[in-house]
Amino acid sequence: MNATSHVVTYPRFLWQAVTRAFEGRPLFYAWMTFLTAVALVGANAWAHQLAQGMQLTAMTDHVSWGLYIANFTFGVGLAAGAVMMVIPAYLYDDHEMHDVVLVGELLAVAAIVVCILFIVVDMGRPDRFWHIIPGIGRFNWPISMLTWDVLVLNGYLVLNLHICGYLLYMKFLDRKPDKRWYIPFVFLSIFWAISIHSVTAFLYGGLGGRPFWNSALLAPRFIATAFITGPAFVILLLQLVRRFTSFHVGDGPIRTLTSVMRVTVLLNLFMLGSELFTALYTGGAHSTAVKYLFFGSHGQNALVPWIWTAVAFNLTSALLLHLPATRRSLGLLDLACLLSIVGVWIEKGMGLIIPGFVPSTLHEIVEYVPTMTEWKITAGIWAGGFLVLTIALKIALPVLTGEASLANEKRGEG
Amino acid sequence: MKRLLPTLLAAALLAGCGQPEQRHEAAPAPPASSGRRYPVEIHIPPKLTSIDTGKVDALGRPIRAECVSCHTARRPERLPASTAELRAFHQGMSFQHGELACGSCHVVGAQDTLRKADGTLLPMRDAMQLCAQCHGPQFRDYTHGSHGGMQGHWDLSRGPRLRNHCVDCHDPHTPQFQPSNPVLPPADRLLPPAGPSRPGFTVPRLSQEPHR
Amino acid sequence: MSDQPDPKRRVSLQILGATLGASAFAYAMEPLRAWSKDLTMEQFLQKHYKEMSKDELAKVLQRVERDTKESYGATVTVKDPKPLPGVEFGYALNLSVCIGCRKCAEACHVENNHDRRTNNSYIRVLEMDQGTFDLERGTAQYAHAVPAPGKYYLPVQCHQCDNAPCVKVCPVQATWKESDGIVVVDYDWCIGCRYCEAACPYHARRFNWTKPEIPAEQITTEQGYLSNRIRPQGVVEKCTFCLHRTREGRQPACLEACPTGARVFGNLLDPASEIRWVLENKRVYVLKEELGTRPRFFYFFDE
Repeated sequence: MNATSHVVTYPRFLWQAVTRAFEGRPLFYAWMTFLTAVALVGANAWAHQLAQGMQLTAMTDHVSWGLYIANFTFGVGLAAGAVMMVIPAYLYDDHEMHDVVLVGELLAVAAIVVCILFIVVDMGRPDRFWHIIPGIGRFNWPISMLTWDVLVLNGYLVLNLHICGYLLYMKFLDRKPDKRWYIPFVFLSIFWAISIHSVTAFLYGGLGGRPFWNSALLAPRFIATAFITGPAFVILLLQLVRRFTSFHVGDGPIRTLTSVMRVTVLLNLFMLGSELFTALYTGGAHSTAVKYLFFGSHGQNALVPWIWTAVAFNLTSALLLHLPATRRSLGLLDLACLLSIVGVWIEKGMGLIIPGFVPSTLHEIVEYVPTMTEWKITAGIWAGGFLVLTIALKIALPVLTGEASLANEKRGEG
Repeated sequence: MKRLLPTLLAAALLAGCGQPEQRHEAAPAPPASSGRRYPVEIHIPPKLTSIDTGKVDALGRPIRAECVSCHTARRPERLPASTAELRAFHQGMSFQHGELACGSCHVVGAQDTLRKADGTLLPMRDAMQLCAQCHGPQFRDYTHGSHGGMQGHWDLSRGPRLRNHCVDCHDPHTPQFQPSNPVLPPADRLLPPAGPSRPGFTVPRLSQEPHR
Repeated sequence: MSDQPDPKRRVSLQILGATLGASAFAYAMEPLRAWSKDLTMEQFLQKHYKEMSKDELAKVLQRVERDTKESYGATVTVKDPKPLPGVEFGYALNLSVCIGCRKCAEACHVENNHDRRTNNSYIRVLEMDQGTFDLERGTAQYAHAVPAPGKYYLPVQCHQCDNAPCVKVCPVQATWKESDGIVVVDYDWCIGCRYCEAACPYHARRFNWTKPEIPAEQITTEQGYLSNRIRPQGVVEKCTFCLHRTREGRQPACLEACPTGARVFGNLLDPASEIRWVLENKRVYVLKEELGTRPRFFYFFDE
């Protein structure tokens, strides 16, 4: 038998991936059961939302996007932020980072899945999905920024699936990967990561009728916050991997990512300050959304506690990241990472999407507070994202450690 | 056919001197060079020729009395000095129309006609000519379709149009629009419903009668 | 290996888990059955308005009539009047005489078969302080007799922009500008992403957050496919200058309802039209001109 024939070995690779995905210790089962349960609650809420219409959300013709699009925006940032591992690993030849870079790429895959799900649940008519498939429906490209987003998000998903899949498959066969088959894609993915978040920013920034979004600084802010949440999430993830698997994670990658964060947290605060100065010092109608967000307007102040929480968390994490003590204590670092993830989630989620609609284009103030349906669906989608991430790591890490390989499979059979 | 209304009304206004009986409410459109044009009619409000008696018939409809039914017999010798002197159906009428007096428009002994400033008499239904004497800009806008409202067709080659009369909207004795309550308040879906039955909604308030 | 269950027990546990999971999933998705009842393969495969042949469109019109009969118990006629050659519509509103009575909004509500529970209407009337154009100082939520002293009224509806942001952003070309200037939506093609609603600077678009509810006897039976037919749940809708009326030469419903004659509608290409007289002789402005949307809806004042 020709052992190198991919027709034989690739199905074997997939089969071992599937079997490994469903095997583990009781803790693994408990974790997966928990995620499945939350995802099912979300699925159920979504089914209700489809049947009864989006009246089950708190969105209105005034605030026509809400929690879903807020989370979508954050998710794109998370996906793009993972590239902060790819750049050191491939551009700067950081070997320790190179060993763990796949974790970041898998995180990007899971984050893109989350983003796509958030778009699907935000659609009034997901049954008409084929209308947006290029070549089959009527794809309004290149005029509509949303079509760009469809292209770059799916493209990024395919790119990362290819890179991860190819490298894992080669490792499974115990062969040296052919650079021609992945290096160009890796470099493409770096540019692509920037593009997904820029395009997402242009989606909002291009709307002249929404002064709060209509800012050239939106894309740079999105990139800066992406490079906070991406590294922060990966730092936490790498520690979990170190703790729960036999996969070796050095301190180097964590140190590198922390250095990235030290810069990006400050950059983000600086850009946020610039936006605030421009809006508040100038005053007038264009500052209304900012005033509403930070101080409330006409007695309406639903977002005020959110945004000040975000500001407090972002400032604290910036401070913690620059404390000498944090260099020695992983606990403090983890706290800083957690605070910055939550801070950015609020700032570019609820704190960015909702003030775009409040006040409305006719300057009416209609507030938005998500309903239980929206929270359930949101939790369900994030649970789904963690399911994808867990399974992806469950498949990938044993291959990387060599525990799962064609040779081992054969030995098992023999 | 261009500017049908202005031509029509200006003609009526000018002709008013010699031919007070000219009817402009149903004048056919002048022959058009291309295709057929439907007429523009002006609605003649009932209050020009009759008055509300304050009584209703068996079906609850208000009973109106034709002016002539009383005034052929009752012909007062002088016009009242103020609204306080008015009797019968005219009692309690409010009057707020600049510095005008009854005699500015009404004629003693000819209660179904009006008198323009130059002394020419007008039938009641032609009251718009009387209004136009003082309210030139409004009349100009009216003739260009930007005052007073209408029903029917924008495209007169496809159908007719019915214009409102000044008196349809303005009471000649108190022409200022009287404040009224607006209809259909916005009832946006501000609060999420608890279930299929949604208590938060206001009951739609449709005004029962269409305009006019 | 003592903490690991033996392989047989493990497999049976996995099967149990899978069965439980599958049934939980089926249970979670159960509400979809109610939703899918309204969906047919015919509707799923329906083409974009512009791609349908005459016969296909005729069938769709019949299908909409049938569906309206089934869902609402009303016998309606759904037509598809085309843009008139040599006609581009324009609309002007006289702010000096508008009294804010909202009769136009009400007429729209009735004519366009809006959901009765929400008082929905394509027209939103703002009460503004005299002496300012600042929308910030306006409110749509006034509930006192009008006109109120010191106030003027600004009804806002779709401006049928020539450079329409809503048309630009639609990812599936479900909304476009017709040759007579009307921006329309193919309600059977819209995917409900609401990007157009975010893009519109005039709050002109509405979303069907649920299936509209209208008693059969209140339904306006003369309907247009691209205008006032009852919209499906989950799609965006908008003012079409009542194209089912105006493309047949009639005035829009809001104009007929206006008790002061503040509204002037007509063909911008006809130099003798009333709308042209207003544009040429009155002090006219458009809302948010600085955004470059080039509206076909104008506001004007008397002297």
